[in-house]
Amino acid sequence: MGTINLSNSKGRDAVVGSQSVLKPVKVRYLDEQGRQAQSGRVIKGDMSHDLKALEAAAGGREKVAEALIAGDPEVDVESFGTLLRDTSRVYVDPDGKIVHKVRQFEVVKNPDGTERERRPRKVTQPNTATELPLKWSGKLMKKKEVYNRFVFAGKRQIVHVNGLTYDFLYGMTKELESSESLLLLGSGPKGNLPLVLTRGGQQYRGFLEGRTEGDKYCLILHLSNMELKKAAAPAGE
Amino acid sequence: MAKPLIVALGGQEFPLELSKVERSDLYGFVEIETLDEKGRKCALATLADDGKTLIGPSGAALVTLSPDGEWLEKKMLKPTDMQGNAITPCASSYAAPVPLQGRATVEEYLSHNIRYVYQIASAVDLGPLMAELQKGVIFQFPYSFRGGLEPDAGFLLLAADGTPFIAIGSPTKLEFVGLAQTAGVAEEESGDDEEESLDFSMM
Repeated sequence: MGTINLSNSKGRDAVVGSQSVLKPVKVRYLDEQGRQAQSGRVIKGDMSHDLKALEAAAGGREKVAEALIAGDPEVDVESFGTLLRDTSRVYVDPDGKIVHKVRQFEVVKNPDGTERERRPRKVTQPNTATELPLKWSGKLMKKKEVYNRFVFAGKRQIVHVNGLTYDFLYGMTKELESSESLLLLGSGPKGNLPLVLTRGGQQYRGFLEGRTEGDKYCLILHLSNMELKKAAAPAGE
Repeated sequence: MAKPLIVALGGQEFPLELSKVERSDLYGFVEIETLDEKGRKCALATLADDGKTLIGPSGAALVTLSPDGEWLEKKMLKPTDMQGNAITPCASSYAAPVPLQGRATVEEYLSHNIRYVYQIASAVDLGPLMAELQKGVIFQFPYSFRGGLEPDAGFLLLAADGTPFIAIGSPTKLEFVGLAQTAGVAEEESGDDEEESLDFSMM
């Protein structure tokens, strides 16, 4: 369970719990003996046997076909089918050698693929559990008017960690429920910056929704990174 | 042209053409360019645990293994639920018309994580269907593109800009929690432009 630093409409803040609401996988595969199968990753071919390496060895792409007919240069019998465990992600240069020092840039492109901006890469830092609480923006949007304005791609359930925070969150939930609205939730001093839950993670707009059932509550942080609206040129199916 | 998704409502069938709308279609996208010290473009690869074998993007495959590590053909395996009961596969939603019988409330819709959205169009008159959507109806139906073990949740709704959309999502495990189930704010600046605070393209 993660944490989130949240403030209410009175400006009081508390660090509370934030938990995933993803449903666990409900399907498993059994073999003939009723034993559960597992998935794994195996090597098909390493980079010393890929097309680029074969071209270099054969002296051109047109000669690769001859080499493939004559033998099996793309197969390394020692490594083919080997289970991959404890792997690392590395950068390689155009010669296929590991690079230990890299510079990274963000190339911002328009929807049509044209370049808009190029800038040094800035890794986003999580900002939902910092010293500065996510403030109560007061920007309430009626549920019936907002559900079809944004694509709610993810959510976290906000939960109490002790008796005091139960009262804190229950009150906040009740207030939201009675307003029949979602509260726009952002980060930063003005509460207008995107939320980032993990280092280098996606940036989202947050929307807080409250539901109660007797003395129980369900406080939901909806996450969205796009509007639900017509695209000029959609990607297509 | 892709096969349409046919939905049925009030004895009438509506063939729908789905066009996926992604974030990049609305706001553009960001590519990460990685350069070495000589300014040459670098690519990501996988280094095996022997510390020397480098595997490119298409150099590995997913396989299914027995508990003993033996290779298994997935089609020979029996899919079950967590209690061991066999699961009956569902057919593709494109195999037959999908009856629009279920309706979701706003709360039920909001209880799902939406993974894909498709704007829809049709060669036929969607009048009767649009009339329902304009009332704020959210149709819910099981959706599976290829057919499979578990269908996703499909929703047919009208976006705020008046475009009909199909949203595909997964239910979540939201729950009501009670007391027993435990597991300095800066001043708001008034006069903020709401549109500015909802600028999705800045992300």
